[in-house]
Amino acid sequence: MKYEIIDADIGPTLVLRDQLTFGDRGAFETVIDKLLVRRKARITTDLNNLDYMDSAGLGMLLTLRDRAQQEGVQVVLRNPRADVRELLDLACFDTLFAIELG
Amino acid sequence: MNREVVLANLRAAGYETMSAEDGEQAWHTLDANPEQFDVILLDRRMPRMDGMELLGRIKADDRLNHIPVIMQTAYAAPEDVIAGIQAGVYYYLAKPLDRRLLLSVTAAAIDEHHRFLRLREDLAKRSTAMSLMEHGVFHFRTLAEAETLAVALARACPRSQHLVVGLSEIFTNAVEHGNLGITFEEKARLLADQRWQQRIAALQDAPEHRDKVVTVTYRRLPDEVRITVRDEGLGFDWRRYMDLDLSRAFAVHGRGIAMARKLAFDSLEYLDPGNEVVCVVKGRTNAPCAPARPPADGVAATVDTGDVTATPSAAMGAEELALARRMQAELMPTPEHLEWMYSRYGVNITGFFETSAALGGDVWGMDGLGDRRFRLWLADLSGHGVTAALNAFRLHTLMQHLEAPRDRPGEFLAEVNQRLVGLLPRGQYATLLYGVVDILSGEFTYAAAAAPRPVVVLPDGRAIEGDGSGLPLGVSRTATYGERRMELPRGAALVLASDALAELPSEDGVRLGPKGVSDLLRTVMTERRGKVDVDWLLAPFLSRVRRPLTDDLTAVCCLRPPPI
Repeated sequence: MKYEIIDADIGPTLVLRDQLTFGDRGAFETVIDKLLVRRKARITTDLNNLDYMDSAGLGMLLTLRDRAQQEGVQVVLRNPRADVRELLDLACFDTLFAIELG
Repeated sequence: MNREVVLANLRAAGYETMSAEDGEQAWHTLDANPEQFDVILLDRRMPRMDGMELLGRIKADDRLNHIPVIMQTAYAAPEDVIAGIQAGVYYYLAKPLDRRLLLSVTAAAIDEHHRFLRLREDLAKRSTAMSLMEHGVFHFRTLAEAETLAVALARACPRSQHLVVGLSEIFTNAVEHGNLGITFEEKARLLADQRWQQRIAALQDAPEHRDKVVTVTYRRLPDEVRITVRDEGLGFDWRRYMDLDLSRAFAVHGRGIAMARKLAFDSLEYLDPGNEVVCVVKGRTNAPCAPARPPADGVAATVDTGDVTATPSAAMGAEELALARRMQAELMPTPEHLEWMYSRYGVNITGFFETSAALGGDVWGMDGLGDRRFRLWLADLSGHGVTAALNAFRLHTLMQHLEAPRDRPGEFLAEVNQRLVGLLPRGQYATLLYGVVDILSGEFTYAAAAAPRPVVVLPDGRAIEGDGSGLPLGVSRTATYGERRMELPRGAALVLASDALAELPSEDGVRLGPKGVSDLLRTVMTERRGKVDVDWLLAPFLSRVRRPLTDDLTAVCCLRPPPI
């Protein structure tokens, strides 16, 4: 996993790159801490540069959603591509997250 | 004089020798030149200091105790031989002297000593960074890799000098006797003919062995280090080799395990069937336990040890891991159960389950539902390690005891979900494909929770893909699951698999993906003219997949035989 956090008034955007897999879960928890400490109403997760995600990656997104919800923060997933999008569709994540395409 | 005969033979074979009149003189020679010898030949009976006493002194001296000692004796009472072996004799040579045996045993002893010296030298060169390791999982394939890893791991343990030989011994066994399946007797024969190296190289290249690896787990606890070594062989009668006994007193090998147990480890415990061993070294490593450095911002941490790859393992002991792995395997339907399904429903169901090194959370099952229907399901708990396995047990129990209509997949899944929402920790979920096969109507009715799509492969080779989409179980209380239907005519095979089939990369990094899975099934079905089972279907995949598996792989094939 490689990531970048871009701040904006509306809330931070987490840009994920390369892969999100089982080995990243520790690092991802730290990323969630960093996002929530900003205390904004909305977190956008930009998946456009994420090439691959495994089932553990889905779990990490669920953790992000769960922790964000506890603090009243909305999580938006943006522009998943190809395989990642297929995985999100398989797990019906559109019923759990707002997914922005385009 | 016998000594002259031995010397003459050794010199003729090209060895440099030094001789002594008696034990006392031999001790002075060794004491003055500890670095100079590769092997020591002793007569059990000598004036002034006999063979056993001299042996005791040699083994008590750190400068000398690694030099193999060959003992010559005229009277070989079994208890004396055992006492000698236990005191560290490398080999017993009975009188009268057998020239060929003398030379082959001497050569083997020198080889062994050179190996020790090489390992010790490597150990000295190795950086101490390994001693900072808390836990790690390693995989190796060849004897050369085995030595590299033995040296590296010994560095991370207390008393590394002795340990390196013990580890090397255990690792070598895992390759030779475990993965390559060479018997003790065969090794003896090959060693005698000096065809050992060639044979190992040839076996290692054979298709059936090429992908086999040995998995080593290292874990440091406050007062001990635990190293677990698992091979992919069938195991062996390890009890025979735990102690030094008479049957191997006259063999140049087969004592490695007992020696390792005696010299290197505080405990050495094989787990049945014998393809897994837990080695324990007590004491603290010399290096301080530095806290792990947090990864730099935005970059994931990787561990690179150069020759072997290391991945952080789940935080659990080796024994727990082995136990959990066995328990998980026992959850799956037994051959008797599959046989019963065939006799009752006329369907040939075959299952494949291989757990990953880190332990995953796959489980599958089936049960009869009256005369014409049975249910079939396959679940995958997210995550790895003992948590995933424990959740697999929980789910398995739920599947058996849940008060919900088993023949209505949608309702059943919704009920399972309700139960799991409270049970699974944050970020964890389960995927499940649950369906009912009706052999009269030839239909498969199913519901899915984020599962890989079920595939029906028809006798003509067409693959019909189902739909595995649905909310994962354990995430949302309000999730509902619809029912879907597929035709399962006679001669067709229904295949369910965990996501590992699509996701695990091959040796060259290629993943099948959902479409690749269908292509694979279609190809095998066509080639086999409909006569398939799960092993046939997976064979092309298994021959290419990168090992060790990083996720549990589970697949079930339900074949309805064609009409007669």
